[in-house]
Amino acid sequence: MTDAHSAAPPVLQLDRVSRRRAGRAAVQELSLALAPGQVLGLLGVNGAGKSTTLAMIAGALRPDSGGIRLQGEDFLERPELARRLIGWLPERAPVWPELTVAEHLDAHGRLRGLRAAELRAARAVVVERLELQPLARRLAGVLSQGQRQRLGLACALLHRPALLVLDEPANALDPVQVAALRGLIREQAAAGTAVILSTHVLVEVTAVCDRVAILHEGRLRHEGALRADGHAALERRFFEIAMQARAA
Amino acid sequence: MSFLAMFRLESHRLWLRPLAWVLLALSLAWLGWNFTLLLGSFLASQVQRAALADSPGYVDLVAVPLLGQLAQLAFLVVPLLAMSSLAGERRDGSLPLLFSAGLPASRIVLGKYAAVLLWLLAWLLLTLAMPLSLAHATTPDWGKLAAAALGIALMLAALAALAVAASAFTAHPAIAAVLALLLGLALWTANLGAQLAGVDNGVINWLAMSTHEQNLLRGLVSSADVLWFVLLIAACLALATRRLAAERERG
Repeated sequence: MTDAHSAAPPVLQLDRVSRRRAGRAAVQELSLALAPGQVLGLLGVNGAGKSTTLAMIAGALRPDSGGIRLQGEDFLERPELARRLIGWLPERAPVWPELTVAEHLDAHGRLRGLRAAELRAARAVVVERLELQPLARRLAGVLSQGQRQRLGLACALLHRPALLVLDEPANALDPVQVAALRGLIREQAAAGTAVILSTHVLVEVTAVCDRVAILHEGRLRHEGALRADGHAALERRFFEIAMQARAA
Repeated sequence: MSFLAMFRLESHRLWLRPLAWVLLALSLAWLGWNFTLLLGSFLASQVQRAALADSPGYVDLVAVPLLGQLAQLAFLVVPLLAMSSLAGERRDGSLPLLFSAGLPASRIVLGKYAAVLLWLLAWLLLTLAMPLSLAHATTPDWGKLAAAALGIALMLAALAALAVAASAFTAHPAIAAVLALLLGLALWTANLGAQLAGVDNGVINWLAMSTHEQNLLRGLVSSADVLWFVLLIAACLALATRRLAAERERG
């Protein structure tokens, strides 16, 4: 993250956000802030509340209580802000199976309000960056999971969002693609995009994030900058939290 | 703008689905066959009818019965066509993507509904093209034909709204289709018991779709009948919108 970016007001601010799902508290009193260019790793075991948190940030789910601000504006009052400010890659990257990859990108661009010329330019950029050219005419329904992830990522990046929300983005990617994904995330952060990345793979966080938040049973148990001792310290902290909760 | 984007996406997807083409081809083949039968019967009885004053004409004996056949098919075709509109999105997990694009539930519902309507309009026009292709050789009652076409258009629009609403309540397109089919048939036959009991003017008769549709097919355009269809469409679309908005609230 550059100094210019760190001085800017937060792109995202969560204020005591709570949400119940399937009869249990999926997220409880979660507060977080993310500045432009920051990459926040959201860690937690399965069922910790990561995907629910990201769905609320992306505007797909409303919190039961608390507030969400995007670039200082009340997101709950103005859900249409998601259209230009947020790019979201949900877990399992859902697609419309009867559309080709190129048609997918066009549809997403139009839904995000891009005009024809902007859409053409934006599509060319993401197709090249995510190496989707060979897949452009292929139906999304026949793509492998890894290819779907790349398409989902392209759709999330198409409208140059200020906040990129990635839910398990490295799922089903091969090691070469994982390395490319890390490069892409760093590139986006350098350009000033705030990135929030959910995973349960610790190495993903230490590889690309400059801050980390650990959720357990819907509560924020740890939040801060990644220390210089990186992976080992994070792993220790993560297991401490998981074990404490299990003992309790 | 977001309505147009949604409408364009859904129309495109609808025309890419094999089911839409199969339904179109098979239903038009069936209607084409019926058109030739109706026409044959009309030509065979031409001499007898010529002797009668005020005898039924081409529109009464060919065009309106053909539209009646289309109305019967619509009970099956419309639910099959619209069953995936929202249920399919929910099943594939793509509904949250639409929410996260900042689209209000109303635009999603209206965009999808308009796409289904466009297909149905094309279906109706292709069916109407059959009797109209011979209009130059006859003297059609244009007023009666227009009223019948309006009646069928309103009925298709109402069944489509019902099917979209059914699709908003489930993640299984097949269940949405069955639900829409049963609701459509129930609405059509709501007054069957009342008719058998000889009741003509009850509320139950007003509730039945057949009461309003048959007036239009007879060439009687009444604002009360048109309003009935408009109210049904508005109620179904409002219900679908409310269900979708609640889904975003409740998850």
